[in-house]
Amino acid sequence: MLLALAALACGRGDAPAGADATPAAGKPFRVALLTPGPISDQSWNGGAYAGLLRIRDSLGATVSHIQTKTPAEFEEQFRQYGAQGYDLVFGHGFEFQDAAKRVAGDFPKTIYVITSATTTADNVAGISFGFSDASYLAGMIAGTMTKSNILGTIGGTELPPVKESFAAFARGAHAVNPRVTIVASFIGNWDDVSAGKEQALAQIGRGADVIFQNADAAGLGVFQAARETKKALVIGSNSNQNAIAPEVTIGSVAIDLPHAFLTVAREVHDKHFKARVITLGASTDVVTLVLNPAFASRIPAPLMHTVDSLRAEMKAGRFSESTGH
Amino acid sequence: MSVHSAARGDITRRRIGAAALIAGVVLLALAVTHGGTASLALTALWRGSLGTWYALTSATLVRAVPLMLTGTAVALAFRGGVFNIGAEGQLLAGAACAAAVALGLPSGGAFTVVAALGAGAVGGAAWAGIAAVLRTRFGVLEVISTIMLNYVALHAVSWLVRGPLQEPTHAYPQTLTITDATRLWRIPGAGRLHAGLLIALLLALAAGWALRHTAAGFRLIATGDNRAAAASAGLVDVAATTTHAFLASGALAGLAGAVEVLGVTFALYEDISPGYGYTAIAVALLAGLDPWKVVASAVLFAALEAGAGAMQRDAGIPSTVVTAVEAMLILAVVAAQAMRRRTAAT
Repeated sequence: MLLALAALACGRGDAPAGADATPAAGKPFRVALLTPGPISDQSWNGGAYAGLLRIRDSLGATVSHIQTKTPAEFEEQFRQYGAQGYDLVFGHGFEFQDAAKRVAGDFPKTIYVITSATTTADNVAGISFGFSDASYLAGMIAGTMTKSNILGTIGGTELPPVKESFAAFARGAHAVNPRVTIVASFIGNWDDVSAGKEQALAQIGRGADVIFQNADAAGLGVFQAARETKKALVIGSNSNQNAIAPEVTIGSVAIDLPHAFLTVAREVHDKHFKARVITLGASTDVVTLVLNPAFASRIPAPLMHTVDSLRAEMKAGRFSESTGH
Repeated sequence: MSVHSAARGDITRRRIGAAALIAGVVLLALAVTHGGTASLALTALWRGSLGTWYALTSATLVRAVPLMLTGTAVALAFRGGVFNIGAEGQLLAGAACAAAVALGLPSGGAFTVVAALGAGAVGGAAWAGIAAVLRTRFGVLEVISTIMLNYVALHAVSWLVRGPLQEPTHAYPQTLTITDATRLWRIPGAGRLHAGLLIALLLALAAGWALRHTAAGFRLIATGDNRAAAASAGLVDVAATTTHAFLASGALAGLAGAVEVLGVTFALYEDISPGYGYTAIAVALLAGLDPWKVVASAVLFAALEAGAGAMQRDAGIPSTVVTAVEAMLILAVVAAQAMRRRTAAT
């Protein structure tokens, strides 16, 4: 603890730690981001980095990013940022929870925010993304569009938010089409493109004609399989993936990570932040079903109408798919 | 062997000098491409590795502990003619066994800590033992078997943290956190640095001493230098010595995993090692396969890793570039090794 204080004093003493220009007046607002993977993935990590840059541009913050792999590194970097007096540190993924809880007590002036997490402490908050509503809408569309009455879901690994999203998708599909059956599989990782393709081909072989995938880079293989066989349509996840294979993509359940990050950072910046689990979903426009404009003409008008009105209800907070009203 | 040691020491110094020089050039070239950030990057590298007490203890030495243990493991094996490149898998096996024991005996205290450390060493030795049996009984090259066992260990850990050892809510792929009383004690005034450092130092020193001054060490070196000569001299049981080299090496690597769980992460995760078992090969080679020098070599590599983090954090240098710099450094070491061999040949 004494050492932490010493390091804190040290970090404050010689300011030019950040690479970015510091705003003129007073102490700069400093925000850091830890990602579990490369920010070049155009998905989970890329979205978070875009969020960090939006915080820099909108709030004039000094920002810093580091890519980390192991739990030991999570803790080390959380401590480093705490010791340097950062105001807000994002850990991008549930795997950062334990490290944040261990470190936070030693750096009470730094706020640690963990995405896809449900832990809180005095200065630790979790952001929980509500995938259910948007996934439910995706399920309704899939349940209507299917001809074989067989749908597929393909996930990276079995994580709670992924399972939650798939369950809501199934409920949406059953709501419009009780005859639907769902083939579910998990790849076991998030980056093996050919394994993703194999899973998709296997599902197509079993008759699945709409596949909802949530597998980041491995999910690219699902798009490939659909494109090559022309026997299935795909719904993407996490970011807007509609441009990857526009001719076979219905839409994407996309998280607006920059919007989510800025929302939280603004609270911290304006000093009315309270540690809690922050749930961001359809009602806050953070997780939405983004339909593919190149495909929209193939969606029947009555279905579009139902989806649009339900979406408006969700946004107004009058409909939650988990309760069904 | 000892006749050449003076010349070898001289060449080692030249080699490290060459590596450092190349590293410096690479860093500068890189900084130039980033326009004026050279001093910022180098300052970050220094302050994030050795330049502050906090960085030295909490970042560099914490990483150096598993590198010392795995580096010593690789050095011992290579000296005995056993090309164990499976320290990563042995580390994972050790981490899994230590976590299982630490969670199974949650009462804590010295007994549990020692039992968990012991389990880690036994687990690592057992994992290396598979490769030893494959080699001594069936003539399977350990270069192939150990690297394959790395992947088996990786996926076994992945299964454990989703199956039998998963935390009770079954939400996350990790074990429960071990209790405070089951953790290695921290060295006072040194941040995250834990007693694992003393274990690693002690074992590296003991291994170096054993190689120099014991009959077992002599048998190991004799076997490694020339198996046929060692066998025909009739004084060395080559097969037994090979097996012992495997087991000792595996035990050290397994202990590295146990120390990591009990001293740093406090739970078993999939990504528990950033590749310590692979970096260990470079650590051991840079040290000329001498466990005493492994200590310094491990600190050097740990400092580079820690400093690389700081360059990314404080100077905005992308992680891909940082990884490339590290790879360049390892290449420099390998190149210097080749130069050494050529010098030795002429």
